Amino acid sequence: MNKTDLLIIGAGAAGISAACAAWDAGCRSIVLTDRLDSPGGILRQCVHEGFGLAEFGAELTGPAYADRLSERLSCTGVLFLPGREVLALTKEKTAVLSGSGGIEQVGFKRLILASGCREKTIGSLPVAGPRPAGIFTAGQAQEMINLCHWDLGSNIVILGSGDLGMILARRFTLEGKRVVSLVEQNKRYGGMARNYRRCIEAYQIPIRYRRTIRELHGMPRLTGVTVENLESGEREKLPCDTLVTAIGLIPERELIRGLEKEEWLSLAGNCKKVHDLADSAAAEGAALGRQIGEQLAKGNTA
Amino acid sequence: MKDFDAVVIGGGLLGCFAARNLRRWNLHIALLEAREDICTGISRANTAIVYPGYDHKPGTLKAEMCLRANAGFAALCRELDVDFHRCGSLMVSFGENADMVLQKKYENGLIMGVPGLRLLSGQEAREIEPVLAQGISSALYAPGTGTVNPWKLGIAACENAAANGAEIFLNTRVQGISRTSEGYRIEACGEAFSCRAVVNCAGLFSDRIQELLFPAAVRIAPNAADYLVLDRAAGVRPSHIIQYEPEDGGKGFNAVPTAEGSLLLGPSERENEADFAVSTEGLSFVCEGARRVLPGLDLMQTIRSFAAVRPNPRGKDGRSIGSFVIEHPGPGFWSFIGIKTPGLTCAEELGAYAAERIAAELHAEHNPDFDPLRPGIPCVRNLPLPERAALVRENPDFGEVICRCEDVTKAEVLEAIRRGAVSVDGVKRRVGTGMGRCQGSRCTRAILELLSGELNVPVASVRKDGPGSEILEGAHE
Ligand SMILES: Cc1cc2nc3c(=O)[nH]c(=O)nc-3n(C[C@H](O)[C@H](O)[C@H](O)COP(=O)(O)OP(=O)(O)OC[C@H]3O[C@@H](n4cnc5c(N)ncnc54)[C@H](O)[C@@H]3O)c2cc1C
Ligand SMILES: Cc1cc2nc3c(=O)[nH]c(=O)nc-3n(C[C@H](O)[C@H](O)[C@H](O)COP(=O)(O)OP(=O)(O)OC[C@H]3O[C@@H](n4cnc5c(N)ncnc54)[C@H](O)[C@@H]3O)c2cc1C
Repeated sequence: MNKTDLLIIGAGAAGISAACAAWDAGCRSIVLTDRLDSPGGILRQCVHEGFGLAEFGAELTGPAYADRLSERLSCTGVLFLPGREVLALTKEKTAVLSGSGGIEQVGFKRLILASGCREKTIGSLPVAGPRPAGIFTAGQAQEMINLCHWDLGSNIVILGSGDLGMILARRFTLEGKRVVSLVEQNKRYGGMARNYRRCIEAYQIPIRYRRTIRELHGMPRLTGVTVENLESGEREKLPCDTLVTAIGLIPERELIRGLEKEEWLSLAGNCKKVHDLADSAAAEGAALGRQIGEQLAKGNTA
Repeated sequence: MKDFDAVVIGGGLLGCFAARNLRRWNLHIALLEAREDICTGISRANTAIVYPGYDHKPGTLKAEMCLRANAGFAALCRELDVDFHRCGSLMVSFGENADMVLQKKYENGLIMGVPGLRLLSGQEAREIEPVLAQGISSALYAPGTGTVNPWKLGIAACENAAANGAEIFLNTRVQGISRTSEGYRIEACGEAFSCRAVVNCAGLFSDRIQELLFPAAVRIAPNAADYLVLDRAAGVRPSHIIQYEPEDGGKGFNAVPTAEGSLLLGPSERENEADFAVSTEGLSFVCEGARRVLPGLDLMQTIRSFAAVRPNPRGKDGRSIGSFVIEHPGPGFWSFIGIKTPGLTCAEELGAYAAERIAAELHAEHNPDFDPLRPGIPCVRNLPLPERAALVRENPDFGEVICRCEDVTKAEVLEAIRRGAVSVDGVKRRVGTGMGRCQGSRCTRAILELLSGELNVPVASVRKDGPGSEILEGAHE
């Protein structure tokens, strides 16, 4: 079994920053692991600008921001193990990693979970109708469009007007698709004013406020959604071939079920709490990495 | 013209098991399925309970089959390498009148000889199942009740039938049947099949298949039903199958801790709805049942809702028929019409029933080469670590996790495709990808790529399930 002082699960903005900060604080035995082949996490699929103002003083795209973080990482002696899924953690402070190279166990003194988040899906909503093709979550749509260059559909309804929903609305528009409408249950859009101006106003994309989706239509492919006005109860059918749900992120903590109280465990980034900005996830990771790195460095010299 | 001894129409649970059992005899068998994959009809959406059999009239075929099927279910699942959880069931009641109904079921079960039945007080029931509601006054405990994944079972039977020489024809919708001097001629999508025997297992369409040649005796009146699925992490969770039937005879409620680990709740019932579309009223009904029987359930942990269709058989007089409808309208022609609950439990029994009768009619000999064993796709999630590691050493693809929620690897997905999955849902039905809490939002991309590569088709033509369900509109570059 391999051993390390500090194991960090997840090489997104939070995990990389934590690793670098722990290194800078003097910890010399750090393993950073991720299921993906390159570091960056969710940043890799965020091809738009708007990252790094706080961290690097420049407006970068997600991948450029990830590259900056990776450069920092490569200046340290942190051991990066890509292409490994952490399958399980035990009370005995070992992690089980699975990759095409084999199943490995890594023992650690401290653990930072920086596993990001997953998305809430349409399945969790009480929506009537069939279950056709043509329904995506926002992060999934972003990955398929930006990383795979796939075409999801032509007439799109987006449920939710958070930053992710708004950024995607612009992305679809730039791809030459028609965003029929965003549908938002609240009276105001959910994301930042900056994103509203740049993504919605600038492209005159309609948002239907105080509304939600009640029914799906079409089989085998989506042909429309029924939207209900939450105040009047009035219903309207919006024809569309694609529905994208941007209805919320859920911290990804399945790995630590039953271990939440262990004193060797700490969380950073979106798995701790969902951050609107990568910079703040990075800052949180860095602060935690520094603190734990110092403790481990001291412990080893003492 | 293709020539067979017997043709099975329909590749649901019943058709797959009919084909499997027909191969226990020296008969040349074809199974014709209208869709591009098997088990996409009723067998894809049901309650997944393997019933113990206390609920049927003693002496009926249904009662006898159910009892025998339940007793043999673990052995069947071992042969077919499918997970079966004999978790036991508690049928609960609220109040004196309902207790009497349970008492009757209990007595019926004793007459039938259902093993291990016990009538418990509400208090006793809560001792073995603490999540039950306080108001529950008694419960009928049946240790033999279990749960199995219905489509995985059907697919296993089909693979076993095929390995034993049955020929499976997909995308082959039967459109016409006629008599010949030898037997029957079946027309399906421009192809003709001749045979001496037919097993009609067309599920929701079984009445119409029979009517292609014979007068209608029984018609199917479909009803829709809604279900909810809760994440396996949902805090409070029964360890038994929980059943509740209101004493006014209205539709009850089931909670099934499935073989996959999720919790299945439902069904509701709606009249005359023939499509697999969910109704919100139906979902509310299921939630009400859940709150009444299992008040601690966290319904916010819902990850999916879906609808099923019940094929209710009705006689000429319009009355609903409770027993299994097995028709024999002509020599060698057997029809299963609208087989509802416990059709999953009895699939092997029903298949054997048809096969034995056809073998007798055709004077067939036993097939000495029949092999009942079907190796399943290795499921790394269920393996102890050293065995899992050994698999990865053998094949690195077992190390690459594709579906994180359900812990399914690339090797499993590839094997599903090699065994006949042609769509994202086809992979899901074979290895469970996308069934977990993220509902495929993180693995669909990888599965699309693997399907595209293995089937050698552009990624934009990969489907969710069946023609017209392409997931993408196109792909550049
Ligand atoms: C879809 C989406 C779009 C976003 N868009 C923007 C945006 O445009 N601008 C912005 O400022 N913020 C955006 N955010 C907000 C987010 O706060 C930041 O982008 C930030 O990057 C999150 O960093 P993180 O390190 O917490 O998580 P992530 O970047 O998600 O990193 C988590 C990493 O952990 C790995 N991992 C998880 N579990 C395991 C395991 N068991 N084994 C191995 N590896 C594992 C994952 O592969 C991933 O690489 C977005 C978030 C999401 C989800
Ligand atoms: C809501 C519900 C809950 C249930 N719960 C349980 C339970 O908990 N326990 C239990 O034991 N049983 C249960 N059952 C019963 C069980 O699910 C069924 O008995 C079983 O799935 C029936 O399978 P089948 O093969 O008859 O039908 P299907 O699975 O529908 O198969 C019929 C096949 O025939 C094909 N077909 C149709 N027309 C043609 C044609 N013209 N040519 C070629 N092929 C054709 C269809 O495409 C389909 O694949 C339940 C049923 C329902 C509806």
